[in-house]
Amino acid sequence: MSGDAAPLALPLSRLSTGACEATTLYRELRKPLLRYLVCLGLSSDEAQDVVQDAFLSLHRHLASGGSQENIRGWLFRVAHNQARNRQNRYDRNFSAASDSEMDGVSHEATPERAVLEKEKFQQLGKAIRLLTVSERECLLLRASGLRYREIGEVLGIATSTVNDTVDRAIKKLAEKCNV
Amino acid sequence: MCEFSGKLIAWLDCELPAEEAAEVERHLESCAECRSCVEAYNRVSGEFDAYCDAAMASSAGRGAPRWAQVAAAAGAVAALVVLFFAMPRTRVEPPAFHAQQAEVAASPAIVAAAAPASVSPTIQRVHRRQAIAPVQIQDANATPAQNQNAYLPPDGPMIQIAIPADEMFPPGAVPEGIHFVADLTIAADGSAARLRLRPRLTSFERRTTQP
Repeated sequence: MSGDAAPLALPLSRLSTGACEATTLYRELRKPLLRYLVCLGLSSDEAQDVVQDAFLSLHRHLASGGSQENIRGWLFRVAHNQARNRQNRYDRNFSAASDSEMDGVSHEATPERAVLEKEKFQQLGKAIRLLTVSERECLLLRASGLRYREIGEVLGIATSTVNDTVDRAIKKLAEKCNV
Repeated sequence: MCEFSGKLIAWLDCELPAEEAAEVERHLESCAECRSCVEAYNRVSGEFDAYCDAAMASSAGRGAPRWAQVAAAAGAVAALVVLFFAMPRTRVEPPAFHAQQAEVAASPAIVAAAAPASVSPTIQRVHRRQAIAPVQIQDANATPAQNQNAYLPPDGPMIQIAIPADEMFPPGAVPEGIHFVADLTIAADGSAARLRLRPRLTSFERRTTQP
C-alpha cells in the first residue's frame, strides 16, 4: 500500500496542503465515532455513512470560518444528531448487537474461555438493555473518551446531569453483573 | 453507605476538582469498602468498553444484503474498467509487502492499539480518552509500508490509488478538498479481485475566527 505519498500519474500536488492534519483528525476520531454509532444501533454501513457525512460537515464548518474549539465534541454532536434523524433504525439501540449475533469473543481463546466470555457479554448485554436511553448514551460517549462537559454538549444536558447519569448507570451495571 | 460513594466514579474519570480528588484519595487509603467499589466500577467500565468493541466487530462481520453485494460487485467491475483505461500507469507494490505488513501488525504500537481497556484489579485512574488507540501520525520520511492504515483490509496485497474527485465527477459535484482512494486487490493469477472506492478528506482551509 503506497498511501498518499505514492507517486501517481494524476495531478495530486494541490491535495497535499494540510492533508496530514485532516488525516490525523480522521484517524483519531473515525473509530470512536463508528463504535458509538454502531452501539446506538446503526448498521456498519449506516455508521460509515454518518461518519463520512460528519467529516464533510466539519470540512464545510471549518472552511466557512466556524469555531475550531472542541472539534471532538462537535463531531460527536453532528454524528449523534444524524443518527437520531435515522430514528427508525436508531430505536434498535443495543438490540442490533444481540447476543446471538455477538461474535466479538477472541478467536484465540480456548473453547471454555470463549463460552465464559460469551456468557459474560450476554449478562452485560441484558444489563445494558435495562438502562435508560440517556444512561446508555452517556456511557457510550464516556467510553469514547469524551469528558462530562463534552457529553453534556452532545446530548444537550447539564454537566452535573451527566455526572449523576454516569454514576447511576455504572452502579446499575456493577449491580446487575455482580462485579 | 459511605459519604464518598457518589464521588468515586467521577474521581475515576478524573472529573473532580483537584481539591475534591485529593479528599477522595485520602479517603480511599482508609476505606476498604470504597476501594472495592472503585475496583468494581473500573472493571465494569472496562467490560463495557469490551462489549462495545465486540458489538462493533459483530456489526462489521455482518454482510450486506445480497442485492447490495451484487450492485457493489457490478460497480467495482465498471470502475475497474474505467480506471484501467483512464490511468496511464499504476504503481505495483513489491512482493515483500506481505512480510512488511505482518511486521507492522506485530509491532508494539499496533498491539497496544488493539488491546482492550485494562481490567486490572488494581485501581488505574486513567481517563478513558487516554485508553483510546493512539493516533498514528504519518511520517513523511517513512516508507510506504510503514504508513499502513491499521483499519485497511489485511488480506491480500493491495494497490492504493488516490483519485481527485474532479477526475470522476463534474466540477462542483463534490466539495473542494475531497478525493477518492481506490483499494485494488490483485488475485494470484494477476486479475483484479476487488476494488473499493473510499472518499477521503485531503485538506482543511482553517481560518482564524479572530480578525
